[in-house]
Amino acid sequence: MSAEIAKLPTEPARRKYELFDDTGFDEVPKKYRKFYRRWGGEGDPLAPNEVLCPVCKIVIRSNRELRPGDRVYCMACMARLRVAEGPDGALVGLVEY
Amino acid sequence: MSDPAEVHALDPESFEERVHSFQFWFEAVQGYLVDREYGHRPELPEPELTESERDRLVTVLCNYCVGETAALDGASGLIAVAPNRLTKIFLSTQVVDEGRHLEVFRHRLLALGVEHPEDEIERRASPRLREFRRKLEALVAERDWDAAIFAQNVILEAMEFSTFQMHAGYADPITREVLIGIIKDERRHIGFGENELGRRLKHHPTLRERLQRVRQELDPLVLATLEEALGELQVPRAEREDLGRSYLAAVERLGVRG
Repeated sequence: MSAEIAKLPTEPARRKYELFDDTGFDEVPKKYRKFYRRWGGEGDPLAPNEVLCPVCKIVIRSNRELRPGDRVYCMACMARLRVAEGPDGALVGLVEY
Repeated sequence: MSDPAEVHALDPESFEERVHSFQFWFEAVQGYLVDREYGHRPELPEPELTESERDRLVTVLCNYCVGETAALDGASGLIAVAPNRLTKIFLSTQVVDEGRHLEVFRHRLLALGVEHPEDEIERRASPRLREFRRKLEALVAERDWDAAIFAQNVILEAMEFSTFQMHAGYADPITREVLIGIIKDERRHIGFGENELGRRLKHHPTLRERLQRVRQELDPLVLATLEEALGELQVPRAEREDLGRSYLAAVERLGVRG
């Protein structure tokens, strides 16, 4: 039994991120601002700890690398999102009602 | 120990409770309205507009006032119909937002030299927008929560959101700042509408058909109104195609076909 468990693939450790309230985003209470930033449009790539809110187009940030299945919240529009892999392999946020 | 403000670690109920509160609203709007007077920094100089530019801007602002009045009346009327405490409290914050929007647009009209804004609004209001307002008022009077929230927080708010964003790209500095502050409020309103209806559709899928009928009735009115506004603003035709993108994406996510 213990040998079988030992063979199970383990999830690679997630990269951690230190977030700062330094992007000028001012649409949510001060203590939550570091979790969001404005999106600059198509030419603004998202980091591995970021996903775009499909409802209001604000970038949601996490203090750890995001993976499919993670839950994140957009406080700017109050949406609850589930992170998924998009058709091109990039992470996307799907609204959960 | 995890960060007490780690928003993504909240359970859904705590998140809902927090973002629908007056406390959240107050702390949010403080961030972008604290140094504003009537929606803009008071030190911004009044731009020099040609007579034609001023006249077109006045027409657009008059129609924004009609839209904001519709949303103000709609949101305030819906508080009594709202199904629970959180929706009542959120709508009460929306009422404050809509009242502010009406006030800042009216103040902008005064600053542009319109002596009697109410008369000017009456004279310049789009007939289609008036008709939309009447239909929204009827849905609220019928206490039809789902249809009224769809008309107001999905159709009207999403269309305003797109138009204000497009207008802000072309506007004079004062109007631009006024619009940007309003866009920040609108994010909450459109998110509330989509999330509220998304939850209700999950439990009552037959509601989708009725919302489709509401959409078919109201879409043409709002689209035509906003097309008129963008025409007044002389936004290039190619860029107007973006107008309904966020709205269409929202109704697609909700599965409400046109």
